[in-house]
Amino acid sequence: MSIMETQPQKILRSGWKAYVNDYAISGGWNFNGEALIICDAAGGIYVFDGTSGKMKWSQGQVHEGGILSTAIHPLIDRFATGGQDGKVIIWNAQQKKKEKVIDLGDGWIENLSWSQDGEMLAFSCSRTIYVYTKEGNEMWQSDSHNSTVSNLAWSIEKELATTCYGRVSFFDGISGKIKQKLEWKGSLVSMVLSPNSDIVVCGSQDNTIHFWRRSTEQDSMMSGYPLKPSALSFDETGSYLATGGSEEVTVWSFKGNGPEGTSPLSLKLHTKPITSLAFSNRGMNLASGSRDGVVVLWDLKSENEESGLSETSVSDSVSKLYWRQDDKALAGLDRQGGVTVWRV
Amino acid sequence: MDSSSKKVPVTILTGFLGSGKTTLLNRILSEQHGKRIAVIENEFGEVGIDQALVINAEEEIFEMANGCICCTVRGDLIRVLGNLMKRRDKFDYVVVETTGLADPGPVAQTFFMDDEISSEFSLDGIITLVDTFHINQQLGRSNESTEQIAFADVIVLNKTDLVKDSELDNLEARLREMNKMAKFIRSEMANVPINSVLDKSAFNLDQALTRRPTFLEPEYPFEWTGIYPTKCGKYKIIMSEGPDPSMSLVVVPDQNADDVSLRNSAERCVRLYAEDAKSIKPEEIIPKGKHVNLNLESSGPKEFYIEIEKDTKLGLFAQHTAEEFNMKLIEVNNNDEVAVEVERTWVAQHEHDDEVGSFSIEKDGDLDEQKLQAWISKLLRDKGVDIFRMKGFLSIAGESNRFVFQGVHMIFSGKPDRPWGSLPRRNQLVFIGRNLDEKEMRRDFEDCLV
Repeated sequence: MSIMETQPQKILRSGWKAYVNDYAISGGWNFNGEALIICDAAGGIYVFDGTSGKMKWSQGQVHEGGILSTAIHPLIDRFATGGQDGKVIIWNAQQKKKEKVIDLGDGWIENLSWSQDGEMLAFSCSRTIYVYTKEGNEMWQSDSHNSTVSNLAWSIEKELATTCYGRVSFFDGISGKIKQKLEWKGSLVSMVLSPNSDIVVCGSQDNTIHFWRRSTEQDSMMSGYPLKPSALSFDETGSYLATGGSEEVTVWSFKGNGPEGTSPLSLKLHTKPITSLAFSNRGMNLASGSRDGVVVLWDLKSENEESGLSETSVSDSVSKLYWRQDDKALAGLDRQGGVTVWRV
Repeated sequence: MDSSSKKVPVTILTGFLGSGKTTLLNRILSEQHGKRIAVIENEFGEVGIDQALVINAEEEIFEMANGCICCTVRGDLIRVLGNLMKRRDKFDYVVVETTGLADPGPVAQTFFMDDEISSEFSLDGIITLVDTFHINQQLGRSNESTEQIAFADVIVLNKTDLVKDSELDNLEARLREMNKMAKFIRSEMANVPINSVLDKSAFNLDQALTRRPTFLEPEYPFEWTGIYPTKCGKYKIIMSEGPDPSMSLVVVPDQNADDVSLRNSAERCVRLYAEDAKSIKPEEIIPKGKHVNLNLESSGPKEFYIEIEKDTKLGLFAQHTAEEFNMKLIEVNNNDEVAVEVERTWVAQHEHDDEVGSFSIEKDGDLDEQKLQAWISKLLRDKGVDIFRMKGFLSIAGESNRFVFQGVHMIFSGKPDRPWGSLPRRNQLVFIGRNLDEKEMRRDFEDCLV
């Protein structure tokens, strides 16, 4: 596959590169895109100037045993980290200090997410989910799930979606009441909600993708993936779903009666399994990263015709890709601790 | 299942509660081996462990919608190992201590079925601790303890101070029938050498057969040997009704009673037993050093003759024990019964009291690749659920290298190994499973020979 229709203004141009001390596992752009916040597996946090790449501040060993999850507040200069020490810390990025430490005592905090309006913080510890106010006061906690909670996501309606073995649950974010349960016998390793939150899509351990239309509770399955589809991303309109689970990026169209009975688009440039996918906030640009550190930017504007716009690479397996709010910068995190920012 | 040296080895420690897993774990951790070990524990041990990173994780068994037993994995291990492997200061070694009730299948399968785990970790071996004082009750009652024995690469017979040696021998013989692949170690307080349980590479195809001297201990097609002092003259064997209408026998002259001599003769008799038996009717003479089949169809006691040219100790290697047919050796001249001087019983091939058992197939010659493939696929498809473990090497016609293989349930992997060179080309296969039809599998395998 050759690179086609190269449009110079959209090529990934080198911005800056930095290294953190261990596997860069998660992070994101702060609320206004001026800073890039990175967490590493050893428990270090790093706040970089988004434009220059200069490190504004950092702190090591903030969670004993390491950091497992990060959530960047959507509206103010705050972020939260969760670790193997059973603690959630809410940080004030501006003042470089802890706002609040929530100590659950034991267990791993593997999932952490701010509600879209920034008023609530949800996290999971083992089989239970907890919802706190943005100030760090407990609102409610759930009953024990069937298994360890594997994913968390907030809908636009202030609902909290969770996955565990065999089930997707939707909770009312404010009251904690269960609104909907969608069941399927499988270990749900990844989850994404469509922007209007009518569709919930999960990648499963058995190398399939399962999705439900919540309004009708109708569910469908996509199989044929050679690996676990752990990377998933919807475009801003909810029309296209990009999935990993192989060395190709598979894009399903939810337009019309699809994707049931349709063939997906296969984007072929990577030679190693896809590890990360991110649609741009606006428009049809898709960034994909693979286990060998290759990052590709795709333009999906034209129906049924893919075009790789730009291909580049980072040090090692790509762990996360984050678009800046204005889509003019893309950050890639990798296994060697590399943090790479491209201008788009 | 490839053998990358960069992968972090993982040892699985199983055994019922109270079998001494935590004691062994503490011993492993306190030993000066220079390894940085991470421990994943599914149950709180009775002894505290403070030497290494210990992660408690509740067992989570994830079955798949397709219902395939070999797709069942352990979600807790995927999660914990997935996070452990992200640290740059990774551990050199991981030990997973399962609960006493854990099914080892999903634990082992996790290291083959999950792509992310199998690219970072290699399953080194499954160690099963046995509380020798209680195991006999446990084996009857629970599938888990049986499966923990069947899946093991190393079986540690622990608490031997509480059990008589003869009982230990019987226990070991029983467990060996269930798992012929495993290495057996005896210990009192789980005091086993660390190198006997770690770094075994038991799932590594390159090591599959080189390391295991007991791997293919000969199976004896006879159950019993009796040694009788005889003088020059004529003798007769008298036999009453027994369980079968015939009995196989080899008569060995000059049989010494020491263990080495007995084993040497046993080896010779294994080969003789492989030849077609000469059928001997009552009143006929039994040739010495030959595989014979005594015809016992007629009713009442039956007599067979043996002629002795010079004084000797006569060894009878019999398919069944003397007791079963009330077998007696009589000196014909004076009608005196000759008392047996030394008796020895052998672990026979077809003695499967337990549902779970193991057997090996050993055959010289080359295999037809297409027939072999067809047989293996059918076997895995039809019997994969019941086959816990298998391993071995094969001689495939037209290939200059040995082919080594191993498997867990339906997960099969194999590859060409070193060249045969001047070694005789042969095949060795070991199967461990539940209610396996050994006769049928042997026959089907032999049909694959060229």
